[in-house]
Amino acid sequence: MNFIINREQLLIPLQQIVSVIEKRQTMLVLSNVLVTVNDNELVLTGTDLEIQLVAKIYLQSYESGEITVPARKFLDIVRLLPNEAEIKIELKDDKVKVTSGRSRFSLSTLAADNYPEFSESELDNQFLMNAGQLKKALNKTVFCMANQDIRYYLNGLLLHVSNSKLKMVASDGHRLSIYEDNIGTATGYESRIILPRKGVVELSRLLEDDDTELNIQFSSSNIRIYIKELTFSAKLVDSKYPDFSKVFDQPFFNQIHIQRQLLKDALTRVSILANEKFKGITFDISEDLLRLSSHNPEHDEATEELIIEYQGEPLTIAFNSQYVLDAVSNLDSELAVLTIASNASSCFIEEPEQQLYKFIVMPMRL
Amino acid sequence: MAHRKIIHIDMDAFFAAVEQRDHPEYRNKPIIVGGKPDTRGVVATCSYEARKFGIHSAMSSDRAYRLCPQAIFIKPRFEAYKEASCLIRQIFSEYTELFEPLSLDEAYLDVSHNLSCRGSATLIAKAIKQSILQKTGLVASAGISYNKFLAKIASDMDKPNGLYLIAPEQGEQFVKTLAVGKFHGIGKATEKKMHALGIKTGWDLKQQSLSFLIQNFGKAGQYFYNISRAIDHRAVNNHRKSKSVGVETTFQADIKEHAEIIRQLQQLLEKALKKLQDKGLNAKTLTIKIKYDDFVQITRSRTLAISISKAIDTTSILENLLKNTAVGQRKVRLLGVALSSFDNQLLNYRQMDLFDYT
Repeated sequence: MNFIINREQLLIPLQQIVSVIEKRQTMLVLSNVLVTVNDNELVLTGTDLEIQLVAKIYLQSYESGEITVPARKFLDIVRLLPNEAEIKIELKDDKVKVTSGRSRFSLSTLAADNYPEFSESELDNQFLMNAGQLKKALNKTVFCMANQDIRYYLNGLLLHVSNSKLKMVASDGHRLSIYEDNIGTATGYESRIILPRKGVVELSRLLEDDDTELNIQFSSSNIRIYIKELTFSAKLVDSKYPDFSKVFDQPFFNQIHIQRQLLKDALTRVSILANEKFKGITFDISEDLLRLSSHNPEHDEATEELIIEYQGEPLTIAFNSQYVLDAVSNLDSELAVLTIASNASSCFIEEPEQQLYKFIVMPMRL
Repeated sequence: MAHRKIIHIDMDAFFAAVEQRDHPEYRNKPIIVGGKPDTRGVVATCSYEARKFGIHSAMSSDRAYRLCPQAIFIKPRFEAYKEASCLIRQIFSEYTELFEPLSLDEAYLDVSHNLSCRGSATLIAKAIKQSILQKTGLVASAGISYNKFLAKIASDMDKPNGLYLIAPEQGEQFVKTLAVGKFHGIGKATEKKMHALGIKTGWDLKQQSLSFLIQNFGKAGQYFYNISRAIDHRAVNNHRKSKSVGVETTFQADIKEHAEIIRQLQQLLEKALKKLQDKGLNAKTLTIKIKYDDFVQITRSRTLAISISKAIDTTSILENLLKNTAVGQRKVRLLGVALSSFDNQLLNYRQMDLFDYT
């Protein structure tokens, strides 16, 4: 096996693949990248057995063959070679020789036969989606995903396809984000799947170009997304996403309109003196006035008052300031609209002009 | 060191007394607050008129009915009892800030620093009893002594409408003659075990070495050693928080099937979790209680590294707890679930969770 390739063609796909590969591996071969040359195509594969990324690169000068090399070392070599360098890669005996100009490297290898196959079931469902659209959907949801929650189904993103509608939901139980949009064509099916957290994070790194059309295929256990020359695959979280519909079926107070930036700034200041661990901030809301206050075990106290638009009964509710800040920061409008359930059990945060996304923050009992 | 002045107030036949107060037609009649006779429920409280028939709390309602068919069975009205209890606690607070409610109808008061009534704890106790009667129309018994253990025994000495003092110089003498079954903290099972070891009175108990008691009774051994010498340093704790939350149920008919028992335990656990949530608490220890058809009762418990919630696989924990029991082979009369080991840090700041809806 040998091929000649320009550094710029190799660097980005290699970086994307190394990102998938776990630093600490129980199987040595998993810290390697699988390099396959077939006809005039170079195929690079990296996996942690839960997700897999495959990149295809067109070659002009090659000799077929396959081998695995240590991924990180290979990446570092390519990364540190000069721009536009021409790199020659050659398998000789059980070593891979990497040469470019006057630089020479000899990398240890493991046979390609040892590289584990990424098992996938038949992918029955499919739809097309624009990369820019998916990127936005991920941006507006990913921050609510749980991390290492014992409720493992929350450590992921719900993807709910219902004919031509797509809904994405992420929640750690304390807050929830919903993104709803149309996908151009009618799929004719309804399906709910949960993408694992790591897969979601890796996927969002692959959506560089907004105009790319993605082909998304999935079954009940696997998903595969074609992103130009990249193929991203992931095993799905084998569980049902918990029901959160009840949060909508309740009476609410009138909407509260707040200048988004002012709210952000005030929240940031008041949280200086909030309890460090719980970050609880009390919202006292009365007609056209919001008072934010905090205190901590050291008996420090802070209050901020904001003029808001609100007509209705006065109410008091407390939140973890970080959750409100995260939600408010993810709005693109000048105004933030807060809608609080009548029994103060939840708060919706959205834009005044109905957008594709909205956030729910659960209160704190102080 | 000056002796403390502890009062133990215990309401007489509390639930029944509230019912008799609110329903004149029940007065001077044997009434039983608790489960109906045909429901396998138990007696929560009964009036003194009912006690004459040998009825006592925790007895099955069926048995109570057989002892006294003319008794009036009443479903408990906890709201009314809570209201009365609130009033009573208010009265306590007029005398001392240092009072520790044990339940709706019982509390310890530390009046060491109360200077009213010339500093006489007995007179304070009398004034409290008077005030309770005036404001709630209910009768209380009071025990006065220099520690909790003796105050509690004292309140029981002269019931109903009791007022009993165990003075510091009487303490040890008093405990000597007391049957071990009368000691607070010595239940039926422990009493039986002590009798088997030849320990019948406080004096017998005092003859045992500390190591002997610890060998036979574990952690409680130290406590028994102390109380046999009338020593009890436990402070009256007004910050007392409940240490566990539990629910239990007695079945209409005994159950035996393993799957059914798991299902019932799950239901009880759900109720207990709801209770816990209402209190804003998190618990790490799960205890199950099983009473077999012969009334033999066992408990099994497990403490987790994380708090118990619906989010975790409680079924497998329950399955595990049942492994060392006769469930599946023997009939079960009662099941209970208790949650304990509260995470106090979260007590005041509880983040609500979207998926905790019931």
